[in-house]
Amino acid sequence: MTPPAGKPTRSSYDVIVVGGGHNGLVAAAYLAKAGQRVLVLERRHVLGGAAVSEELHPGFTFSVCSYVVSLFRPHIIRDLDLPRHGLEIIPLECSFLPLPDGRSLARWGDKELTRREIASFSEHDAEIYPEFGLAMGKLARFARHIIDHPAPDPASLRPGELRKLLRLGNAMRDFDDDLRYLNLQLLSMSAVDFLDRWFESPVLKAPMSVSGIIGTFLGVRSPGTAYVLLHHYMGEIDGAFRAWGFAKGGTGRLSESIAAAARELGAEILTSAPVARLLQKGGKAHGVALENGDEIRARAVVSGLDPRRTFLGMVGEQNLDPAFVNQIKRYKFRGSSGKVNLAVDRLPSFSCRPGDGLHLRGDIAIGPSVDYLERAYDQAKYGDFSERPYLNVVIPSLVDPSVAPPGKHVISCFVQYAPYDIKEGASQWPARREAFGDAVVDTLAEYCPGLKESILYRQVLTPWDLEQEFGLSEGNIFHGELSLEQLLFLRPAAGWSRYRTPVKGLWLGSSGAHPGGGIMGAPGELCARMLLASGEL
Amino acid sequence: MSRGDAIVIGAGHNGLACALLLARGGRKVLVLERHDRIGGIAASEEFHPGYRSAGLIPEANRVLPTTLARLGLEAHGLRVRPERPGILALGGGGKGIFIAGEVGKASTGLASTSARDAASYPRFRAALDRYAEILKSFLSEPALDLVKVESNGPLDMLRRAWRVRRLGKSEMLELLRLPAMSVADLLSEWFETDLLKAALALPAISGTWLGPRSPSTALNYLLWEATAGPGVAGGGPAFVAALEKAARAAGVEIRTSATVERVSVVDGSVRGVVLAGGEEIAAATVAAACDPKQALLSLLEPGTIPYRLERSIQGFRTRGTTAQVLLALSAPPRFAARPDGPIELARTGAHLDDLERAFDAVKYRRMSEKPILEIHVPSVATAGLAPAGGAVVSVLVHFAPYEIDGGWNDGLRERLGDQVVAMLDGHAPGLAKSIAGRQVLTPADLAARYALPQGHPHHGEHSLDQWLVRPTPECGRYATPVPGLFLCSSGVHPGGGLTCGPGTLAADAILRG
Repeated sequence: MTPPAGKPTRSSYDVIVVGGGHNGLVAAAYLAKAGQRVLVLERRHVLGGAAVSEELHPGFTFSVCSYVVSLFRPHIIRDLDLPRHGLEIIPLECSFLPLPDGRSLARWGDKELTRREIASFSEHDAEIYPEFGLAMGKLARFARHIIDHPAPDPASLRPGELRKLLRLGNAMRDFDDDLRYLNLQLLSMSAVDFLDRWFESPVLKAPMSVSGIIGTFLGVRSPGTAYVLLHHYMGEIDGAFRAWGFAKGGTGRLSESIAAAARELGAEILTSAPVARLLQKGGKAHGVALENGDEIRARAVVSGLDPRRTFLGMVGEQNLDPAFVNQIKRYKFRGSSGKVNLAVDRLPSFSCRPGDGLHLRGDIAIGPSVDYLERAYDQAKYGDFSERPYLNVVIPSLVDPSVAPPGKHVISCFVQYAPYDIKEGASQWPARREAFGDAVVDTLAEYCPGLKESILYRQVLTPWDLEQEFGLSEGNIFHGELSLEQLLFLRPAAGWSRYRTPVKGLWLGSSGAHPGGGIMGAPGELCARMLLASGEL
Repeated sequence: MSRGDAIVIGAGHNGLACALLLARGGRKVLVLERHDRIGGIAASEEFHPGYRSAGLIPEANRVLPTTLARLGLEAHGLRVRPERPGILALGGGGKGIFIAGEVGKASTGLASTSARDAASYPRFRAALDRYAEILKSFLSEPALDLVKVESNGPLDMLRRAWRVRRLGKSEMLELLRLPAMSVADLLSEWFETDLLKAALALPAISGTWLGPRSPSTALNYLLWEATAGPGVAGGGPAFVAALEKAARAAGVEIRTSATVERVSVVDGSVRGVVLAGGEEIAAATVAAACDPKQALLSLLEPGTIPYRLERSIQGFRTRGTTAQVLLALSAPPRFAARPDGPIELARTGAHLDDLERAFDAVKYRRMSEKPILEIHVPSVATAGLAPAGGAVVSVLVHFAPYEIDGGWNDGLRERLGDQVVAMLDGHAPGLAKSIAGRQVLTPADLAARYALPQGHPHHGEHSLDQWLVRPTPECGRYATPVPGLFLCSSGVHPGGGLTCGPGTLAADAILRG
């Protein structure tokens, strides 16, 4: 699958894209589609960045980091014709929450089935759950205006910008008072406070609230975490059920399909080609120097790296205005999550719903109560990983047998919290890695007796590993926290949310730009569009 | 009484301010107070023979100069202090930092701890000053209606937008960045000394259900600290005494020991109130200075307000997290960290994590193991609160949850008092021995004594969503869906603290008709 590392065919290109993660590849494909000569340079031996599949144990293919395709923009799939290039998304069937007391809650695509499941905890909640989904769906439509366009600039007095703000206002005008109030609450409340206004059962609130904290160093009670609840509903309006799903063959297959589309459109893609620095003169970028000393010219460079690695690494502090450097330095990463991947010789069985079943063909949440989630967060605040963490578990081999030998399975556990800055110091993570892995396995084994004995292979990724191996600063999976002060026109820095950077000719097309992380592809696409429209090529 | 008459429920600072402006606007006003004294949480009380408190709120420094001028309180004897008192940040083991009220002195004082912080402090205060005008205007004007956006005057919206844009592009974007941040992140961008950061952060979380790491606590910090003045001489008690005088001078009638049991509504409009005991008083306007939940849920017949409003006012969060310990001392406290000078204000918490840990406990309905103490010695600046040679200490204890596992009882109350005394004695050795008397007020006690919802001193939490809409979209502009009934307490914009903002803005709304 992976192309061999080689030499670029030319000494100069229209655009060089640094980083072959999904956003870099999307940017490359759109630029190539517009007729630009594009070169993508990836440091690792494999494409995809954090959207990558690797066979780490013979016969077992792991979606090493990112494990479900969630908000990937449907129009990008269409524009680049990704299904023809091998992309197939298998929807998740269910959201399953096992409880320590032997009960459990599964939420399905089927509304009646879900109603019955919720009703066993609360009749009230079962009744109101569809109404909640309806309201959230309407708000998700509004949010789509935001993620599919460059961020509005509130400081600009240019008529074009004011029109954009007005357009957003108009999108709100269709809302009645209740929806507008709900929208305000969603933007300003904590996930738990927000859900408290709707639901009574803690068993429902815990797994719902948790989508608010994925990848951030916040708790479900922290203000500003409510709006991420929308992500679950954005998928639904994009068409296929929730559009939450596994990429067949692993998440890396998504990246490979984008790469295939980009190549077909004429882009060149090199792996094992680490970039050392940006070539610049008089505040303008004109190419990159590779670590092997080769210099390649380009009229523009698109960075698919996070803001810190882009500006403090590739560009160099000394080449930037100190005020801007200060903005980048205070941009918060604070990775808070890790990943444990398991190869097992049999299907795990949950004591609350033993054996195989549809409930295993979705995502499984270990996080039985709001207090449990908060306790996990509290430990992380003071520099420890959570002894009993929140886990989001998927078993992709159940629906995609291509990723494991017959009868055997891969289990992916997303783990929170694992703070980058543990009290021993981030660089001491390797010494804590196995203890962290043990905590995760112990936690899951409390719900799945026999799990430990079934493990053939275990990969533990701490935030430190995510940084060292995948280039995610401080292990932040979103290229910087998705907190309110780092979103929209403030991402990655006030005044620089439009993919342009203070270095002329250098553009930022990574998750560190609007609209941020998740496998959306939106930053790469919007960056390419803005670059093409800039007239600088 | 005639149709032009107005009744104000509650003689706290907001009720009095509202009554005063209504009377000056030509209304005949009657204030009804359930207690036998006037002043609500700002009133002074004798809590031990010969010792008087200075109310619940330590600093009377949040009333804006423009509001003071409007109320005309200086004509009734109120004086503004020349300088804000300094704050002693208490670290462990007798260590401390004195943050003087005056910026230059504070900076000099910080030099021995950290040269970097000493240099940052004046720049930090200057940055706050740059935003002060905008923050003050936020506090002194009615909130924009963010739900019925069309109902805001376009000119008003433009004027407000321009006020922010006028800062210049980069300052404007910076001001838009700050409110959503946590106070821990905000202060860490400026300072390195843990003790300094912890002491500065406290106002941002006092009266909230949030810790210093919680996003949006920076907004609380900015609103309080960028707009704080030097405070009024005599504190809360002098403040409400002047309000009372001014109100009476303007013709306001105040009846104490008069508990309003019900607001009577006929044909959908307010007709007056019914007191406990059955007395009916007619009035076309009723302004409720009690908290919004009480006003809308307890004082109205069920079914008077729409179900939707009932639901949303029930969702207004009022989880109290503050207790108060009052101490009557035979000698002034001597803090080991600064034994020479009289100290008026001190705060504990050596590290932001100490504040965060203190908050963690309330999430699990427990008392903080090591609470954060906001210590006020009102007798330093106000004579007559204690007998000669003695002192009064008031401690606000963060965090003590109203909803505590098992409920508050005498045992828990005394344990809280003992815990606070032991902590104080650690910082001011000998203090425990000088105690002549003490009064411990748990959140449950505060709720009962001051009619505070769940013991919340601000009638509702200060959080980002409850700043944007306070308390609900229908009632954010002081009027309610019941014609003639208005809200004028800390539960409406611009929230709690001795600002008189809700009272004055509600009076404006009533007089505009």
